[in-house]
Amino acid sequence: MLQETCAAQIEAILARYDHPRSAVLPLLYLAQDTYGYLTNEAILEVANLLNLPQTDVFEVVSFYTLFYDYPVGKWVLQVCDDVPCCYLGAEEVLAALAQKLGVREDQLTPDGHFLVQRVKCLAACHRAPVVQANLDYIYDVTPERVDELLRSLRERIGSGEVLSVSGATAEDYEYAPAGHVRMIERRLGDIPAPPAHAANAAPVADEPASQVETDVETDRTNGVDHAAGTSG
Amino acid sequence: MVLTEHIIQRELDVPNIANFDVYLAHHGYEALRIALSQYQPADLVKMVKDAGLRGRGGAGFPTGVKWGFLPAGVYPRYLLCNCDESEPGTFNNHQIIDLNPHQLIEGIIISSYAIEANKAYIYARGEFGAAARTMEHAIAQAYAAGFLGKNILGSGFDLDMYVHRGAGAYICGEETALMDSLEGKIGQPRLKPPFPAVAGLYGKPTIINNVETLANVPPIVRKGVDWYRSHGTEKSPGTKVFSLCGHVRKPGNYELPFGVSLLDLIYDPAYGDGMIADRAVKIVVPGGASAPWLTGDQLNIPLDYESLASAGSMLGSGGVIVLNDTVSAPHVAYKMDEFFKHESCGKCTPCREGTHWLVRVLHRMNHGHAETDDIPVLHDIYRQMEGNCFCLLGESAVMPIKSALKLFPEEFEGLTHMKG
Repeated sequence: MLQETCAAQIEAILARYDHPRSAVLPLLYLAQDTYGYLTNEAILEVANLLNLPQTDVFEVVSFYTLFYDYPVGKWVLQVCDDVPCCYLGAEEVLAALAQKLGVREDQLTPDGHFLVQRVKCLAACHRAPVVQANLDYIYDVTPERVDELLRSLRERIGSGEVLSVSGATAEDYEYAPAGHVRMIERRLGDIPAPPAHAANAAPVADEPASQVETDVETDRTNGVDHAAGTSG
Repeated sequence: MVLTEHIIQRELDVPNIANFDVYLAHHGYEALRIALSQYQPADLVKMVKDAGLRGRGGAGFPTGVKWGFLPAGVYPRYLLCNCDESEPGTFNNHQIIDLNPHQLIEGIIISSYAIEANKAYIYARGEFGAAARTMEHAIAQAYAAGFLGKNILGSGFDLDMYVHRGAGAYICGEETALMDSLEGKIGQPRLKPPFPAVAGLYGKPTIINNVETLANVPPIVRKGVDWYRSHGTEKSPGTKVFSLCGHVRKPGNYELPFGVSLLDLIYDPAYGDGMIADRAVKIVVPGGASAPWLTGDQLNIPLDYESLASAGSMLGSGGVIVLNDTVSAPHVAYKMDEFFKHESCGKCTPCREGTHWLVRVLHRMNHGHAETDDIPVLHDIYRQMEGNCFCLLGESAVMPIKSALKLFPEEFEGLTHMKG
């Protein structure tokens, strides 16, 4: 049960809003990552947590494309087929993915590792064709680069990295000149220590995001080619 | 014409300005100090109004005027940053967050002070997982430095800021659907009035501004109205980050003063650098997929709200899609309306049914199965949608098919005759 296993996260999510119902989307993401996809039981749990009629939550699940009420495996590969991606090779990328994985679109691979879907605009049209793998952006994908993409994703399965189909650990990736997929580092710098006089004013340690992000920043400076595992 | 100093894309002037310390060392959060120590909220509303800042999300509505719609004395108020960027060809919000996130955060804090909101939410599209984490990190930095939280910089002003991720629905960029989504519901637009400024999130006064709009606020406060108005045109002051994509050599985000020509954006070596393989421009969609199309002989047009409107199109989000002469107009219309069909929320019949039928007819035409009367059928469908949809999504879906039929009728006739 989420209430037992994710109590702190649930509390942190609820604290952001003046009305608890606003927590529906983040709690569904949390449930989706906890169970792998949104089973009926998971959806009911979210409804119960927020004391909402279950139809209200089922309606939300079916409305938004990033909630999966079917098994999606470890990597959901979403290929933008919109203008302009479709004129710059997206259809060929889709065909290459299906062929290499031996599946049709929307069909989970037998090993449960990959699901390929076509999606609408991903807002990175200047680096078309664009693919997301569990909401990690992968820019400038071509049919020739599909093998390397699949290799890097399989490697990340093997590394024991905690994968989130909901994007909780999302990063952006591109192809290095040498051809391998590499993470694009963000360079925000560390979170500074709060000024002493503000110790009782802005309790940053209570901010749910900051703790997670502190971990991530460490990972970012360590890893270029591989996303280090995070517990976020 | 290259900007000597960027207002939004400051990463081009100050390398690595995404870094908190670098941002601080280059006037970062100076505007916030100025705003909190030298101005009352109403002064800032007036300043933004005087600067002529117009909403960058698509409508171009004057931001200060929007802020002025808040009813006096009604609290709490909310500021929502619309980061649901999802329209084909539009991708500058994404890059602003990646490369200059603190200017956005600072802009949200100043704007929240100006409208007297104590909570701000950044509504990011669900696919912006990494960008959401970037913003959360930047927000944590701002909290730690005392720019967020209680009694910011000793001013007595309190503000909490959160990132709220959607879950895959373009309609949530429509401001009232965004609020419903943030309230935990399906994202469907609300009837207006009441407008969000009067009854918005949880029924409270709410202001919703786009990422790029809010990122303009710190430079206006720090450098003043006159300086801001020295960029751009009289009616469209400032700059615009144009997103350029499609069959150009150098797609990307380019910040230009309003009024630079489409020709320069596409062909200047500093920007688009011309067409791939020097092919001819066939279709330009100048303001995201919602904008009526232009053709290759209309490239001299200045990129500002008024000029594009008088050419029968719109500046919209500033997402410029350039397609060459290898594409078929009926196919482009099909793909674009497929987007709108996919994203239709289903609330109103003209959009739900209209986008469905447009795509169904366009699909068969593009796959060699056109019916003889498909052209009049397409005209009939979009005419029934036009002016009858509940929100702009359905109205936008009219633009691709109407443009294609008007500009390239012979291509549709060709498909009709292909039926064997």
